[in-house]
Amino acid sequence: MTSAADHELVARIVSTQDTVAFGELVRRHQSQVRNFLRKLAGDISLADDLSQDCFMHAWDKIHTYSGRGSFIGWLLKVAYTTFLQSKRKSKRYAEILEEVGHTMETESRHYAIQSEEVTDLDKLLAVLDEEERAIMIMSYACGLSHREISEATAMPVGSVKSVIFRGKQKIRTSFDIKNHQHG
Amino acid sequence: MTSRIINMAERIKDAEDRLLESMFESTPIADGGFSALVVRRVRRRLWLRRLALPIAAALGGAIAIKPLAYLLTIVASLSALVPRELIDSTISAIPQLPIIVLGGMVLVACLLGLQSLEE
Repeated sequence: MTSAADHELVARIVSTQDTVAFGELVRRHQSQVRNFLRKLAGDISLADDLSQDCFMHAWDKIHTYSGRGSFIGWLLKVAYTTFLQSKRKSKRYAEILEEVGHTMETESRHYAIQSEEVTDLDKLLAVLDEEERAIMIMSYACGLSHREISEATAMPVGSVKSVIFRGKQKIRTSFDIKNHQHG
Repeated sequence: MTSRIINMAERIKDAEDRLLESMFESTPIADGGFSALVVRRVRRRLWLRRLALPIAAALGGAIAIKPLAYLLTIVASLSALVPRELIDSTISAIPQLPIIVLGGMVLVACLLGLQSLEE
């Protein structure tokens, strides 16, 4: 099982609904998906819940993976979609509560740092908007190509490059990364 | 050839890109039972889907049995009012019972075949 390539496992899952093969895929990619969602959401427990939902959606939609491009690229697309759906749901919930007269702490559009220790990466992500954050994480943390990011975010490749350029400019002006010292 | 050049250009990273990569680098997260939890959820969902149709059919049958029996009793009593000649001519027009049973079996076989194809 461990030596089979991702697309072989996917074929097994699609043909026989093999949950053992799916478990192997989850085991291989859970770290990357969870790291992606943790950086995006800024909340570890929310990110892990979203990661579970992401893999459940992946199970339902696994037949849509064509084998073109990497499986992790396809999985991060599902993860990003899951994140956006979750945000839309919580926004709708807040609107409903507001209508019935309950006030709810408005969800900041900005990156909410949940952990007590604020890292340099947290500061860096905080200056970016949601779209920039997602694309920068996909590019620099997950190592996806511009084309894979374009497929994951349903944006043209040119727009992806513009967002990366814009994100780097924001980081450059807000956070002197040239003088950044590690640890 | 053009796409190879573009891909190569994309891979050429400057110092800023390398620095960003090092900043974005994350520690691998231990599984800690995560994948087992996901697989359990998937299996539970599979079982629920497999059981849903038979349970729905059984519940539907249980709900419908009493009114259905009552309906059949009424139909039987109404049939006594219909002239005999009309009944005989109608029966001769209806397909024979063996044909009805065969048609039902073909329908069930098609449904089961579709279900297995879907799986």
